[in-house]
Amino acid sequence: MLRDMTLGQYYPVKSPVHSLDPRVKILLLIAAIVAVFMAGNMLAFLPAAVYIFFACRLSNVPFNMLLKGIKPLRFIIIFTVVLNIFFLPGEKVWLDLGFAKITQEAVMTAILYALRLVLLVMFSSLLTLTTAPVTLTDGLERLLSPLSKIGFPAHEMAMMMTIALRFIPTLLEEADKIMKAQSARGADFESGNLMARAKAMVPLLVPLFVSAFRRAGDLAMAMEARCYHGGKGRTRLHVLKMHKNDWLAILSMAVLIACVILIGRL
Amino acid sequence: MQIEFKGVTHTYQEGSPFQSTAIRDVNFTVSSGEFLALIGHTGSGKSTLAQHINGLLRPTSGQVLIDGEDIHSSGYSKKTLRQKVGLVFQYPEHQLFEETVEKDIGFGPRNLGLSEDEILERVQEALRKVGLAYDEFREKSPFELSGGQMRRVAMAGVLAMRPEVLVLDEPAAGLDPMSREDMLQLIRSLHESGTTIIMISHSMDDVARFATRVLVMKKGTVAMDGTPADIFLHADQLEEMGLDVPVICRMNNDLRRLGLPLPEGIYEEDALFTALMQLWKGGENHAS
Repeated sequence: MLRDMTLGQYYPVKSPVHSLDPRVKILLLIAAIVAVFMAGNMLAFLPAAVYIFFACRLSNVPFNMLLKGIKPLRFIIIFTVVLNIFFLPGEKVWLDLGFAKITQEAVMTAILYALRLVLLVMFSSLLTLTTAPVTLTDGLERLLSPLSKIGFPAHEMAMMMTIALRFIPTLLEEADKIMKAQSARGADFESGNLMARAKAMVPLLVPLFVSAFRRAGDLAMAMEARCYHGGKGRTRLHVLKMHKNDWLAILSMAVLIACVILIGRL
Repeated sequence: MQIEFKGVTHTYQEGSPFQSTAIRDVNFTVSSGEFLALIGHTGSGKSTLAQHINGLLRPTSGQVLIDGEDIHSSGYSKKTLRQKVGLVFQYPEHQLFEETVEKDIGFGPRNLGLSEDEILERVQEALRKVGLAYDEFREKSPFELSGGQMRRVAMAGVLAMRPEVLVLDEPAAGLDPMSREDMLQLIRSLHESGTTIIMISHSMDDVARFATRVLVMKKGTVAMDGTPADIFLHADQLEEMGLDVPVICRMNNDLRRLGLPLPEGIYEEDALFTALMQLWKGGENHAS
C-alpha cells in the first residue's frame, strides 16, 4: 500500500549529473531559481526549458519522472493561474464579467507565472532525483558550515536531516505493516467520510508514534555508545572535491543566466 | 475451509527501478485442520505469501481461492475474509493502540459490527484462550504490560475475530523461553480445537514438534512440500538452502554417520529413543 509511494524520490542510476558535487548542485539550483525569476517574458523561459531538458537527458532520469513532480502542485498552479486571469488589471479587455475583467495582460502574466512554477518544480525535482538524500544533506552541511562561526548549528541541522531522511522509508514500512495488521482485524482505512477516515487513522498513528519514540531512544543510545559527541573535531569519510564536470556544470549555468538576461533585454 | 494458491506471483513496486519479485508461481492447497509450517531463508517470500492468504496483498498474477472462490473477485467480501482468516504479524504487540486491553481486543469484533454483548463475550473468550484473567487485565493499558503479555493481548485481538484459519508470522520470535513455550502450547491448543494453522517459523524444532505439513520456500518458489518426515529426510538439501534441521534429526544423522544402523529421517525424540532402544536390545540378543 504505502510502499508504492515515491518519497525522497531519488532515482538510482549512474550519470554525470548524479556524480556532481552536491554543493555544486545545490548552488546551481539556487542559480536556476534566480534565472527563472529573472525571466521577464515568455521567450526568456526557452533557454531554461532547453537547459532542464538536456540536463534531464544527461541524468538518465526518464523525463516523465520529472513531470510527475508537478502533479502534487497542480492545484497551486491552477489556483495562481485562475487568480491572475481574473484579478490582474490590464488594458486590452477580452471579456468583461462585471465583477472581474479578463485582459490580455492578465492572461499573459498568468501563463508566465504558471511556466515559472513548473520550471521551478522541475529544477528542484532534478536535484532530488539525482542526489541521494544523505549526499544532499552532506552538501548542505558543507555549504552552511561557515555559518557555524556565528553560532548556527550546521552540523546538528544536517545530522537531524540525515536521520529524518534515513527513517522515512523505515517509518513508511512500519506504517504499512501496522496498517495491514489493523486491516487484518477488519479496520477500514479507505471508505467513509472525512471524520470517519480521520478516526480510522488512530489505530495507525498511535502504534506508529510509539515505535518512532522507541526507535529514537534506541538510536540515541547506539550513537552515544559509539562516542558521538556532535560535530566538533569530526572528520569525514567522503571528502567532497570539485571535479572537471562540476566546473563545466557551473559554466553551463552561467551561460543559461546570460541567455536569460540577454533575451530579457530584447 | 480450503485455501488454494494457483500460480500466485507477486512483484513489489512493479515498473519502478526498485521492482522485485517476492514470490513466483506458487501453487499449493491447505485443507481444514492442517498445521502447516512455512519455512525458508530470510527473503524467501514467506511473509509475502502469508499476506496473500487474507487478501492484504493482491497477486500480480495468479489466484488465491478460498473454498473455490477467488478472493479478489468483485463479489467477495473482504470483511468476511478477514474474519475467516486471522493474521498475526511478526511482533504483533507493535500494533496495540487502545487505552485499555479490553478496548484493544474489542477492536476487531467492533469492526465486524457486532453487538456490545457479543463483543464482551468475545473479548472474555479471547483473553481466556491466551491465559490472561479478564478482571485483572481489562482496565490495564496495553503499554504497561510485559513483552510476553503484550504479545498475548495482541494475539487475543486476532482470536476475538474467531478465525477458522490462523496465519502466524514467527509468533515466538523474541520471547523468553517460558513465554515462548506458552505461546507454542497456545497455538497447539488452538489447532486441537479445530483451527487451521499456518505458521512461519525459523525454529525447526518447533516445526518438528507441531506441524503436520511443511512447505519450504526458496527464492520465492515452493522448493519442498510434504510431511515433516518427508522434509527432514532431506537434511542435506535443507542445509544447502541455509536452513537447519531439528536437533534430533541432526543427532540421528550423526549417529548414522558413526555407523549405527538407525533408520533415516527420524526427527522426534521419542522415535529416536525407541530406535536406539531397539538397537540396544537387538545388540544384547546378538551377544547372548
